[in-house]
Amino acid sequence: MKSYPTRAVALLATAGLLVVTACSAGSSTSSGSSPGADQSLSIGLVAEPASLDFTTTDGAAIPQALLGNVYNGLVKQDETGKIVPDLAKSWTVSPDRKTYTFTLVDNAKFTNGAAFTAADAVFSINQVKTKWTTSLKAAMDVVQNAKADSPTKLTVTLAKPSNDWLFRMTTRIGAMFSQTGVDKLATDPVGTGPYKLGSWKRGDSIVLQRSDTYWGTKPFFNQVTLKYFKDPTALNNALLTGTINVVGTVQAPEALSQFTSNDKYQVIEGTTNGEVLLSFNNSRPVFKDVRVRQAIRQAIDHKALLDTCFAGRGKLIGSMVPPTDPWYEDLTSVAPYDLAKAKSLLQAAGATGASLRLRLPTLPYATSCGQVVKSQLEQAGLKVTIDQLEFPAAWLTTVFKNADYDMSIIAHVEPRDLGAVFNAKYYTRYDDPTLQALLASADAGDEATQVADMKKAARRVSEQAAGDWLFLLPNLMVAEKNITGLPQNAITESFDLSHLARS
Amino acid sequence: MRRLNPSLVAGGVIVLLIVVTALVSFVWTPYDATLVDPASRLLKPSWSHWFGTDKFGRDVLSQIMVGSRTTLFVGIVAVGVAAVIGVPLGILAAMSRRWSSEVIMRSNDLLLAFPALLLAIMFGAVFGASTLTAMIAIGIASIPSFARVIRSGALQVMRTEYVLAARAAGRQPFPIAVRHVLPNVASLITVQASVSFAIAVLAEAALSFLGYGTPPPTPSWGRMLQESQEFLFSAPRLAVFPGLAIALAVLGFNLLGDGLRDRFDPKLEDRR
Repeated sequence: MKSYPTRAVALLATAGLLVVTACSAGSSTSSGSSPGADQSLSIGLVAEPASLDFTTTDGAAIPQALLGNVYNGLVKQDETGKIVPDLAKSWTVSPDRKTYTFTLVDNAKFTNGAAFTAADAVFSINQVKTKWTTSLKAAMDVVQNAKADSPTKLTVTLAKPSNDWLFRMTTRIGAMFSQTGVDKLATDPVGTGPYKLGSWKRGDSIVLQRSDTYWGTKPFFNQVTLKYFKDPTALNNALLTGTINVVGTVQAPEALSQFTSNDKYQVIEGTTNGEVLLSFNNSRPVFKDVRVRQAIRQAIDHKALLDTCFAGRGKLIGSMVPPTDPWYEDLTSVAPYDLAKAKSLLQAAGATGASLRLRLPTLPYATSCGQVVKSQLEQAGLKVTIDQLEFPAAWLTTVFKNADYDMSIIAHVEPRDLGAVFNAKYYTRYDDPTLQALLASADAGDEATQVADMKKAARRVSEQAAGDWLFLLPNLMVAEKNITGLPQNAITESFDLSHLARS
Repeated sequence: MRRLNPSLVAGGVIVLLIVVTALVSFVWTPYDATLVDPASRLLKPSWSHWFGTDKFGRDVLSQIMVGSRTTLFVGIVAVGVAAVIGVPLGILAAMSRRWSSEVIMRSNDLLLAFPALLLAIMFGAVFGASTLTAMIAIGIASIPSFARVIRSGALQVMRTEYVLAARAAGRQPFPIAVRHVLPNVASLITVQASVSFAIAVLAEAALSFLGYGTPPPTPSWGRMLQESQEFLFSAPRLAVFPGLAIALAVLGFNLLGDGLRDRFDPKLEDRR
């Protein structure tokens, strides 16, 4: 008699084991599973976020991981740069361009179970105005009033017409928060996106789990791990050894040949918003003289720099506008490489022999480019000391927050960031009323005026040498051959994981 | 006439070669070791660039030469820190009462249990990555080995008749330590210093490789290795030259340490 229960348990255990085995057979190593199957993906990135709260912490790594994945906005940008619906199904703009009326989806839910309504949208907009502490919040200043007419109807009134506002709503400031889910944003973000935070192992990885409450098409992968690497070669090696499935941003382009010559991998090369900027602290006396700034720009051989520190990949742009923006112009001819001119400009400004501290974040491209910049500026007669600061924490505090630097190198990946980067409050400390007037006119005018004025603004910062644009980062990814949905261009703040799949 | 000790000779020659290279680099290198020359990047070894050039177009031989300065500098300071603190601690532990000796040596054990590289990485994270922080951290991590070796030597000296006589005559501990103990453990200090030097060279290379040592563009063998990583498939020579330099330096100082030990150790006297 005793043997029956034992056998039954053994049979059940065997059956259970078979089920478990069948489930795990559909995990990361298998292929051909339908969307929604139990699949996982691991993506290698650099520059881990310092916090998960982009309302109080700067840095592009936070929206890269969370925007579009954990958080949704009312609107978002597609890969061509067009503004398309997200939580707002549609919207209308009043003839005076001051009132926006949004019709919201009615089935969105936050991961804490609360339904998304127009009241949450009002709350989120007001949070930016009153609670956010990062400089990006300024883009919401133009909002005079946000009102929930019904759970699915939102009206936003601007103080003046603004071309920029709706676009900014596609970035992190447009993220929609739950009224009951903002207590622990730094560690426990609550959004309506296709993923929710699974875990965050500081210094190592962020795990995102597919959200069961997601209102849109469920993503293919039930788990995506964003694994952070400090060393570019370790990042490449992780793909070669199968630790990760995708290199989200190649930082050692010289080593790409090992992937291009291997049938197991695909290499994706497109463009980004990432202007690698040699930033000047324009509040320092030496940088008050435009001749010194221009001399630095002309002392750098940008083509040679790009070849040396990024294997020639990327694009020379000459200003703060990437080719995917409507007002892009090739401004590389504004400050061509001319060592003799650079020397004479420095001499005229009495800055020959001036000592400058180049404080670099510990990011591979910054370390490489910094060495080229130092060598080339020293040939022009400047004395440059390199000082490396741990990224993100030390660099953000010392350079970005306290502006305790002369020059630095960092990629600014936020879209349409000319106005945000070159103002007196930002770490560039660039105070130029002419530029501000052009930006204000571009924001208030019609579409043609906006394009014309933004072109003038881009030329203005280039001619005034508010910084030096070393190059535009390429969107360089390597992935296993069967991964689909990777974006050709990375022109938004987010790394949208919802379209990724395994064929 | 005594036979020449092969380890001592080989180690001495290698160390001398490194010292001479470092000294020469102050007055002459084939090229400016930090000058970026994009037109000359990744050149293979030739008559004009004996070891070729790196991805920045910098001459590898010139970098190896200037890098030897960093290596020696790190070694000297790290060993100096370890000796200046470790030797007095060792002598103090040997000469003091049992309980205070226990406190010193158990504190040493605590420090010994802490990985040297981890300590250096912590220093780098707190004070910023630099040659100085790397040197001090490596020096601190080397204190226990100095203290232990010197304590054992000093204990032997303390049992000698002349020290017992000095104590019986009412000599104070400090004059005994300076006049009798220190000269008799000098050979131990020399041997320990050369061995610690090799460890410091390797630690600096490891730290620079990890990005916690000498910051760019100051040439450092460890960072040259790090920068060569992405060229392991296309230009492996970039890893070979700094790798060989590190191996040679470590071998040289270890051989010198072995040779000095053989030369000074009275137990090995019969074998000579």
